[in-house]
Amino acid sequence: MSKLASPSSLSRVFFITVLVFFAFVYLAPLYVMLTTSFKGIEEIRSGNILALPNSLNGSAWVKAWSSACTGGDCYGLAPYFWNSMRIVLPALIISTVIGALNGYVLSQWRFAGSDFLFGALLFGCFIPFQVILLPMAKLLAWLGLANTVVGLVLVHVIYGLAFTTLFFRNYYVGIPSELVRAARLDGAGFFAIFRHIFLPLSTPIVVVSVIWQFTQIWNDFLFGVVYSGPGTQPITVALNNLVNTTMGGKEYNVDMAAAIIAALPTLVVYLVAGKYFVRGLTAGAVKG
Amino acid sequence: MGSIQIQNLTKSFGDTQVLKGIDLDIKDGEFLILVGPSGCGKSTLMNSIAGLEDVTSGDILIDGANVTDLSPKERDIAMVFQSYALYPTMSVERNISFGLKMRKLPKAEIKKTVARVAQLLQIEHLLDRKPSQLSGGQRQRVAMGRALARDPRVFLFDEPLSNLDAKLRVEMRTEIKKLHKRLGTTIVYVTHDQVEAMTLADRIAVMKDGQVQQFGTPYEIYNNPTNRFVADFMGSPPMNFVECVVLDDKLVIDSQGEKFELKVPNGESLKQAGLDTVVLGIRPEMMTEPKPHSSSSFIHSIPLQVEVVEPMGPDTIAFGQWNGIEVQARLSPEAGVEAQTSGYISLQVDTSKALLFDIHSGARVN
Repeated sequence: MSKLASPSSLSRVFFITVLVFFAFVYLAPLYVMLTTSFKGIEEIRSGNILALPNSLNGSAWVKAWSSACTGGDCYGLAPYFWNSMRIVLPALIISTVIGALNGYVLSQWRFAGSDFLFGALLFGCFIPFQVILLPMAKLLAWLGLANTVVGLVLVHVIYGLAFTTLFFRNYYVGIPSELVRAARLDGAGFFAIFRHIFLPLSTPIVVVSVIWQFTQIWNDFLFGVVYSGPGTQPITVALNNLVNTTMGGKEYNVDMAAAIIAALPTLVVYLVAGKYFVRGLTAGAVKG
Repeated sequence: MGSIQIQNLTKSFGDTQVLKGIDLDIKDGEFLILVGPSGCGKSTLMNSIAGLEDVTSGDILIDGANVTDLSPKERDIAMVFQSYALYPTMSVERNISFGLKMRKLPKAEIKKTVARVAQLLQIEHLLDRKPSQLSGGQRQRVAMGRALARDPRVFLFDEPLSNLDAKLRVEMRTEIKKLHKRLGTTIVYVTHDQVEAMTLADRIAVMKDGQVQQFGTPYEIYNNPTNRFVADFMGSPPMNFVECVVLDDKLVIDSQGEKFELKVPNGESLKQAGLDTVVLGIRPEMMTEPKPHSSSSFIHSIPLQVEVVEPMGPDTIAFGQWNGIEVQARLSPEAGVEAQTSGYISLQVDTSKALLFDIHSGARVN
């Protein structure tokens, strides 16, 4: 910190200029998306792409949400938004809970081969989506879960477990094992120790896991497009269909509004949960 | 009630054997100290008693009942950890009551117990605080409170004072001793601090390399150690060990180029052992400035060239050489000042408690 702050004012000006420049580059598309979504089609065709809208016209947002055509149907993104929620929330909760238990076992209740198992689980982080597409499709069909929400939840839980386990294991490994020993002598069992001692310490890592899993699953397109049926498509697939379905001219304002709607939940999760990233909750567990 | 019998206990981690056949018989209400250098297996032994560590072979009996295969929960043992291991998200009150809640005691009884323990340890004003808001000494008290609340058959203390500063450590030491007197519950206490061991224990088990070297009262351990390791480990400043040539039933030492013959206890057995050389063990407090009215055949007068003196307050340690080996003598502060200025002192050496050890094995000879 002090190293960055102390150099001469000239280099400081240079740093700030560079930072501001990249911030602009990064934010420019968002700016264009936002302004375009509030413009009418005429205004888009005739005006400058960087100009502010003449008036705040929300009709493109309404259309994107409730009446834009995604392929054959014209109900907007709304049904798919709820599809995504029905996939994301269970998958997120299940993978976080199992990941927490996995991490708890792998860090505090080691057994012969537990390190190998952890390594094997980690391997899951490096498997590209594309590799498992076909076998997974076979498996889902065999389980009778093809084209269902449950099937997609299952895929996302399995895929997410490698990450959530890694998060929780690395977090819990920093919690002194003497706490477990003390609790065992106090008469607490496996789940009691988890519930009374580990869970209350877990807020920061639960937040990390939730943000990660929410973003991953919400933004997923590949699994969504491959394993969903007509009625179970997630919002990312619907957005793709919406943008590719043209009735007459291309409605850039609707496309932009739809893209923002699709991205909004992850943004909200970051803004809401971000402030719960608290550190140092274990301070004082061992000698201060 | 809380007697403990440990019978031929062994513990291995992979190929390394950490405990090599431990036998201990701890009486009900006894204050037992396990002492030894780090890595001697004392903490492993304690964890085995607690049930936190599975043993490889052997048995642990509490009040005559075999508990070797019981879980920690079923053994009715409470433990105070070196790091205190307080539950960080719980208040002091919940820390103390956690074990009672897990055992499903009625609420009213839990409340009464917490109040009693808090009063006993003078931590009533801390009950609502979190562990992170406590000082080291306060955490220590809470950790003890948590153990006391359970009213177990046996207390285990794992180096409980090693994270405290020197002054607080001495205070808490006395407090633990008082507590034991008052409660009369069996305590097994692990430490590497020989002062703690001497001051607290009813009996001490000195350990090294996974074996009990000696098991006895502090007096026995200090005055009649079974081997050189025990003699060296207990006592501060440590015992002097000087390799000497045997002459009949006497030892020869060389101080400042002059030879002196020392009479030692059990000279006959030394003569019979037929050794050429032995290691003489003599505590610094037996090497002093000349004192009036002391006369016995074991008292010798030997000069010492003083290289360094270390004033400790109540006495001063003087360093010199016998047979080319550094020895320490314990002088009065006045004699210490004189020794420092003159660089020389005529020591009164009392060999009535001198010990002889085999050069190679370190076993006692006399």
